[in-house]
Amino acid sequence: MTHRSQPTRLRAPRFALLAAAAGLLAAGSAAAATLTLNETGSSLLYPLFNLWVPAYTKAHPGVQINTASTGSGTGIAQSIEGLVQFGASDAYLSDAQMKKNPEMLNIPVAISSQMINYNLPGLNNVHLKLNGTTVAGMYDGRIRYWDNAALKQLNPGVNLPHHLIVTVHRTDGSGDTFMFSQFLSFTDKTWAQKVGYGTSVNWPAVPGAIGANGNPGMVSALRNAPYSIAYVGVSFKNQTEKDGLGEAMLQNRAGRFVMINEKTVPAAAAAMVPKTPRDERISMIYAPGAESYPIINYEYVMVKRDQPDAQQAAAIKQFLTWAVSPQGGNALGFLKQVNFLPLPASARALTLAQIGQIR
Amino acid sequence: MRPSDALFRVTVTLFAAVIPLSLLVLLLFLLHDAWPAIRFNGVDFLFKNAWNLGNQYGNPVTVHGQQVMPGASFAILFLIVGTLASSLIALLLAVPLGVGAAIFLAEAVPAGLRSYLALLVELLASVPSVVFGLWGYVVLIPLLAHHVYPHLARWLSGVPFLGPPPGSGYGLLTAGIVLALMCVPLIAANLREAIEATPQALREAGLAVGATRFEIVRKIILPRLRLPLIGVSTLALGRALGETMAVLMISGNALNILPGNIYSPISTMASFMVSQLDSALQDPTNMAVYGIAEIGLALLLLSLLVNAVARVLMPRGLSA
Amino acid sequence: MSAIDIRYAPAAFERRQRRNARVSALGWAACALAFALLASALLDILFLVFHRGLSALNLQLFLTPTSGIGGGLLNAIEGSVLLTLGALLLAVPIGVLGGIYVSEYSRDWLAHGVRFVADVLVGVPSIVFGLFGYLTMVTALDWHFSMAAGCITLALMIAPYMLRTTELALRGVPHELREASYALGAGQAATVTHVLLRECASRVLTGILLATAISMGETAPLIYTVNWSNYYWNGHLTHEPVAYLTYVIWSFINEPFASAHALAYAAALMITLFVLALTLLARLSLNRLTVRRSA
Repeated sequence: MTHRSQPTRLRAPRFALLAAAAGLLAAGSAAAATLTLNETGSSLLYPLFNLWVPAYTKAHPGVQINTASTGSGTGIAQSIEGLVQFGASDAYLSDAQMKKNPEMLNIPVAISSQMINYNLPGLNNVHLKLNGTTVAGMYDGRIRYWDNAALKQLNPGVNLPHHLIVTVHRTDGSGDTFMFSQFLSFTDKTWAQKVGYGTSVNWPAVPGAIGANGNPGMVSALRNAPYSIAYVGVSFKNQTEKDGLGEAMLQNRAGRFVMINEKTVPAAAAAMVPKTPRDERISMIYAPGAESYPIINYEYVMVKRDQPDAQQAAAIKQFLTWAVSPQGGNALGFLKQVNFLPLPASARALTLAQIGQIR
Repeated sequence: MRPSDALFRVTVTLFAAVIPLSLLVLLLFLLHDAWPAIRFNGVDFLFKNAWNLGNQYGNPVTVHGQQVMPGASFAILFLIVGTLASSLIALLLAVPLGVGAAIFLAEAVPAGLRSYLALLVELLASVPSVVFGLWGYVVLIPLLAHHVYPHLARWLSGVPFLGPPPGSGYGLLTAGIVLALMCVPLIAANLREAIEATPQALREAGLAVGATRFEIVRKIILPRLRLPLIGVSTLALGRALGETMAVLMISGNALNILPGNIYSPISTMASFMVSQLDSALQDPTNMAVYGIAEIGLALLLLSLLVNAVARVLMPRGLSA
Repeated sequence: MSAIDIRYAPAAFERRQRRNARVSALGWAACALAFALLASALLDILFLVFHRGLSALNLQLFLTPTSGIGGGLLNAIEGSVLLTLGALLLAVPIGVLGGIYVSEYSRDWLAHGVRFVADVLVGVPSIVFGLFGYLTMVTALDWHFSMAAGCITLALMIAPYMLRTTELALRGVPHELREASYALGAGQAATVTHVLLRECASRVLTGILLATAISMGETAPLIYTVNWSNYYWNGHLTHEPVAYLTYVIWSFINEPFASAHALAYAAALMITLFVLALTLLARLSLNRLTVRRSA
């Protein structure tokens, strides 16, 4: 912490002075020699960035990195506008966006996955079996009660209650919504036609459906509202377990019911990584393979290829290279805390090639 | 006039003119940014439930001469209903609570204690909105969802809008309750002053004809409160309409659906602007941001209207 | 009146009195209940904030900046203070001088207009100002998230409020003082600055304190104008995001880590205490004033 305490010491007196003198103007001059990079966007990546940045800046005193949790939408928009250098997003840019902004790079830095959780009093220790069609039915109002025939059929022997289902979705633009709605689009034709996928979608108007803000909003909505169901980023697994919420087994493309674990997420990644194109814009949802977990994705950092000056370009490259290195940001010590997976070697090679384009 | 006085007059006039100028700038810029959306949406904006960013992974199409994403539509009836309904519920709760508390403080509490006890009500006004929201979802929602709404809904079953299902705790009534707490100090403080300003002669006249203290309150003081109450309630309505952070955290943020009963999730214009600007920024055609600006413009006009009415009802202005 | 009426009158009178006593008791109980409900809501909010906030409080919070999900809050405290000071710097001249204009030249058509617009602006939702700040300063003027965008947005919000509090303060000064001052040959400028403002200084200050409390407690107008920063402000008015306390409450409560929640509650405690203290200070100065006046 040596270099960190230095700016503190330097600036503390100035702070006191400012407060005393009401001096907005007094401060303008004391510019630091450090380079500031700004990150904003995905609330799923934010916790990881918050683990990375203190560790990275400790070893690289010349750089300051600001992190902010706003949502993937803001991350994408502001990196395109140049308001921030790193736009964190759980979703890649659309073709239309790429056509409009060909200078944007979609740089994966880790692999994430998503749980479907519920709060069914008395049944939270049972891992309910769900598939895309039944979940789509719950979210578009075709399935209104927990003891619906389709749910019973998937879960023989489970005493499902005759109670209205409270679906919870994200109100903020979110990569979690992107992953979830893509899973439903790939598994349910009606959903694909009527709703489709995106970081925010036109949620079917189901009475009683709740919109929650951020993953923690999803978790507290689940906790507060019995008989609710929600999709939650895997970073919050500790939280859902602490709150005693149920976690569903999801049917994958091979027809098997799987949960997130050390086998199913890598299995899905292994199936999709070889198909990853050079610009790395690819959906990894509903991957083939007997063991594959159906809702995983790349976590992206959006960066402009052309930076205003060489110094900034170098700093960005250095940080991103560190972030995806198994000895740096992709070390399990960081990723375990948010339940992410490191980039597999072949994906890392593609990512490093993209980082190399920044200038 | 002395030169120094002329200079003084010009200076203060110029600074004062910043205020109307800022309103003008606010209106013009919002109108400018909302204009493409106004042209694209037409009057449907106010009368339909269809806020839909369209297919974000599709290619932009041209509708009514405007570039939008395929399937996009922007209409906010559900927000207008959510905003008005939550604010009206807030007012329905805040007025009796505010009047009751004001009477209690002004008439039943000894003068020495009064200003201290009044703080317990009036300091509610200075709790930041986001702290209200935090309290709302940590304390209030579990309490209401588990111990109040189920019983209330069962007891009122059969009554339109008040019966079951009791919902999840996130919704219209919860938003109304928190909004009521946020605007009750305005009502209580102003009424307390009005009560204290009741001429002593009137009270004595009441006592002389053998009225009890409460009869004096009911028959003499309350009727005199009607005008200030209407004014200050309108003002409180204006506050409730624009509350953002607390509502965002407790209202359930319903999308494109009107509340079925008072326990249903809702959204308000102000909270929707905060929660949706992020998604809107992703629209490569920018139409969604123009749509948010149109909500902002609509909210601005609504609050101007309500506050102008309050101002006409309360020409003296606020005391608190 | 017939004899029968007179005969039964005492009993009817007693009945009426008993009923009145019951109505009275019920009425007082309802009023007391209303008060108790509101007071218990405030106390419960304070309990939540203190209970969770105090356990999260430590010296580190006041000495170090936020670092990832932990660290301190000094950057946010600094940001909140500077944003508010900046907003005051811009809003006080407008509010106080504008208030003088509206009070002292109250018959001007412009004064009527300004007063009306100020009253209306006080009620405009803060998020509308935030959106305005985002669309104009952050993007159109290309200032990015910044101190300047935040200060100007907050200033626009609180200036009308200060204008009205200043006006009310000046109007509270007895007319005789103005006349006495003019009689001694003082002009309007001198009368206002040397006599009137001095007389009602503490009431003007009260308005400024309350405006400070409003500005400190705001979140919505800042989310899209200053964003957030993990560092101290580096002196740039534009292009650099700034930290502030209410963001910590709004955002850090949304993190999967206990350390982040602790920061959120600590921030909630600080901002609530600070705003309550400002409000109480404002009230105290008002009370002292009224006591002095009536004495």
